[in-house]
Amino acid sequence: MSKRWLLTHGTELALFSALASLPLFISNTYALGLLTLLAIYGVCLIGLDVTVGYLGQVNLAQSALLGIGAYAASLSVTHLGFGFFAALACGFGVGLIFGVILALPALRLDGPQFALATLSFTAIATTTLNEMEWLTQGAQGLHVTRPDLWIGEFTAAGFYWVCLLLLALVWLAMRNMLQSQWGRAFEALRDSPIATDAMGVGTYRHKVAGFAVGSALGGLAGGLYAFNFQYLQPHSFGFELMIILLLGVVLGGRKNLWGAFVGAALIVLLPNLLSNPILFRSFAVIGLSIALFAGWQKQRRQQLFTFQTQAPIMAMLLLAGGALFIDNTEDWRKAIFALMLFAVVVGLPEGLMGFATRRLSQIFRLDTSTLPAAWPVAEVLVLQTSALDDLLEIQQLKHYFGGVRAVDDVSLRVVPGQIHGLIGPNGSGKSTLVNLITGLYSPTSGTIHFQGQPLPVGSLYKVSHTGIARTFQNLQLFTELSALENVMVALRDQYRIPLPLLLLGMGKQQETNARAKALTLLALVGIDAQAQQLAKDLPYGAQRLLEIARALARQPRLLILDEPAAGLAHPDVIRLVEIIRRIQQRGITIILIEHHMDVVSELCDIVTVLDGGKIIATGTPDEIKRDPDVVKAYLGEPC
Amino acid sequence: MDATIIAQIVVSGALIGLIYALVAYGFQLTYATSKSINFGQGELVMVAALFSLSLLNWGLPYWLMIPLGMLFGVVLGLFVERAAVRLALEQNSEGWILMTIILGLFFFSSAENIWGRDDHPFPSPFVSDSIALFGIDITRQEIALAVGVFAIMGLIEVLMRKTLLGKAFTAVSADRDAAQLMGISARRTIMLSYGLSGAVCAFAGMLVAPITTVGPTMASALILKAFSVAVVAGLDSGFGIVLIGMLLGAVENLASFYIGSGWREVPGLVLLILALALRPAGIFGKTVIRKV
Repeated sequence: MSKRWLLTHGTELALFSALASLPLFISNTYALGLLTLLAIYGVCLIGLDVTVGYLGQVNLAQSALLGIGAYAASLSVTHLGFGFFAALACGFGVGLIFGVILALPALRLDGPQFALATLSFTAIATTTLNEMEWLTQGAQGLHVTRPDLWIGEFTAAGFYWVCLLLLALVWLAMRNMLQSQWGRAFEALRDSPIATDAMGVGTYRHKVAGFAVGSALGGLAGGLYAFNFQYLQPHSFGFELMIILLLGVVLGGRKNLWGAFVGAALIVLLPNLLSNPILFRSFAVIGLSIALFAGWQKQRRQQLFTFQTQAPIMAMLLLAGGALFIDNTEDWRKAIFALMLFAVVVGLPEGLMGFATRRLSQIFRLDTSTLPAAWPVAEVLVLQTSALDDLLEIQQLKHYFGGVRAVDDVSLRVVPGQIHGLIGPNGSGKSTLVNLITGLYSPTSGTIHFQGQPLPVGSLYKVSHTGIARTFQNLQLFTELSALENVMVALRDQYRIPLPLLLLGMGKQQETNARAKALTLLALVGIDAQAQQLAKDLPYGAQRLLEIARALARQPRLLILDEPAAGLAHPDVIRLVEIIRRIQQRGITIILIEHHMDVVSELCDIVTVLDGGKIIATGTPDEIKRDPDVVKAYLGEPC
Repeated sequence: MDATIIAQIVVSGALIGLIYALVAYGFQLTYATSKSINFGQGELVMVAALFSLSLLNWGLPYWLMIPLGMLFGVVLGLFVERAAVRLALEQNSEGWILMTIILGLFFFSSAENIWGRDDHPFPSPFVSDSIALFGIDITRQEIALAVGVFAIMGLIEVLMRKTLLGKAFTAVSADRDAAQLMGISARRTIMLSYGLSGAVCAFAGMLVAPITTVGPTMASALILKAFSVAVVAGLDSGFGIVLIGMLLGAVENLASFYIGSGWREVPGLVLLILALALRPAGIFGKTVIRKV
């Protein structure tokens, strides 16, 4: 067992056994109540972290989903006579359903629009819970009876253990999910939705799934919440709870299960902190010292005292100052939340646990996890042969942007096994043509046939599943994933284990194979030494090569390279030519868009020249270079 | 149902809707330059209105309160720009959504503690009798509201079209990088847009407060409706917001009358979600072509 495995699993085991044994020593019901809440909020925040952390969206609906789950669980007990676990399942299911309903329209959106959609969902949900008095008792509140288990009546400790057990299960299941291809897909679509679709990983499907899982956990936590307080009021699930939940995730640390746990602990302790002046003052002083320390560290690194460094310190100064002069901290609690959130978002964007995990893995030297041995290339890229005359056949393809004829009546055949060059001056329609083939745009008219079948129109995702892969002229890497993970996201026919089994942790072997395959492809393009670096930290040349490795993970029949040599230094261009040759030897047909004529002359079997959206010449590189129309398009008329 | 009553409900709703349109106009101003909006805009309106009320209570005359209140709005807008939006954009992230929510929360809590949680009446400079037009009663304050909304939007549009500053503004909206290469400071232009947006919001608060009263809760009620208007019309739709604003105001007044006042907010929110689902660019907005 590796040191990393022992440390992560050991600490988790220690945490949960400590939490489980606490009721044996503590008989104080108040403390036990806090621990129960900790487990409940833990479940809720792990769910929220899927959207806020992995999908990278500001999700303002989790408090409403918690409320909906709470009401659903309670009403299923009173009206349908459900038992304890059935009621929890009901909360979970209702959260899931509402998650999907909300996700379908909202997830086509990004950034502010997504935040708005979820914000209005919360407003609608609390209004509806408040106004449907015949069902929910409206503003006067709903009393909930907690059904007992078949083994007997719930004790306070018993209920706590149930909550803790659920937290542990959710923790394990979510860790399995988020460390699998699902978690990678979530992060990939956050960084580049277009590339995610182009790599055959359905953006929409994964976004809906991620949001639905997060919402279902919100609903489950809601059920526990209802049985814990046994009294519900609609307005307690509104804006304030939402802010508190966000505070928990952000302060604890995004993309981190421990972060969700620490965030939950903070949420539980906040009311106590605020009601006791001495505690609150010491808390404010601690916050100020952290801010000062972090600011000092940053200043030492950057040699610059920017506003970004000052702002968290100012916020914490304001908090500490306020703590000294203000007695009614309860009345100011929203401002206190605001100041804390502000300081964390600006000063410690990775959150407490994000910071701690990074530090700890430095101390214990956990930065490199071991990689499996690479496979032979022949096993990852199976040699392809084709009996067809034409792999790709484009007929009379047109695409107009308003009055601009970007592609105007283009007909083209690509022969299997060849490297087909596509050149032309800037704005001649090369990239538009590629975007039409790969499904980013729908053609105004014309047809495209691939392997004798018409290509799906206007869907990157569907086209990628026919066996066409592409790279992007403007890099579309998954910047926050490592080079290895970038390739792993795109692997074709690799992930066959269904989600339920993955949640149970059955994906280990599949995962190891995926890593080995991805490493093979990185080695093929010569960047396997940088496999564990984040894509954004790679040098530019390596990023271009990573795009190619990622496209190869699709095991394409047709690979479209959109200006792979753009911006590369001369030695890198030579390496690139060598790599493209090796790819061709695997029987992969290539369309190469390029401005470097030496690259085109060296590699291409046939070249098509575009100008003004029309084909002006086709032929071998030598013929093209002598063609008077081509010379005119590049250099203009002789004087 | 008597037709005049329905007409009355529609007209007074539509007039309030002009205020939603004005706050939404504030969103458009900042969205144009920085592609960001202030999620705490409602709190900004509320705080500026409460501040103006305090000015009146200190004995300032009405005509002096208006510019001072708007100046306060400018200060708040600039504060939001510096402490939330620019900080987040420097980190090159979508963090501005969270940051503006946070500042809004801070404003809200401060207002609660400084001015109290109750709603306060806001004096109107006009006598309270109403004018009957085709059997529909319209108060002088409502007329002033309509005039004020159109006046300030018209004024800003003229500034945008006739002055060099306005040209810079348009340039930054069209292409921030290109504008910067031409020597226009994008930073100052974004600051200007937030300042203007703050002034517009403060003015909106002063126009609506005599009709609705003013208190901390006004923030959340206003912001959701302004969001709805801005998104349904489109964040770059220009005067489309006026139409949508009036429509939304009328619809929610009808909903409140027929279904119950608790449901008042729901039509706008449903419209918002529908618009986001069906036409994210808005009814009058322009759809952008994806480029790679």
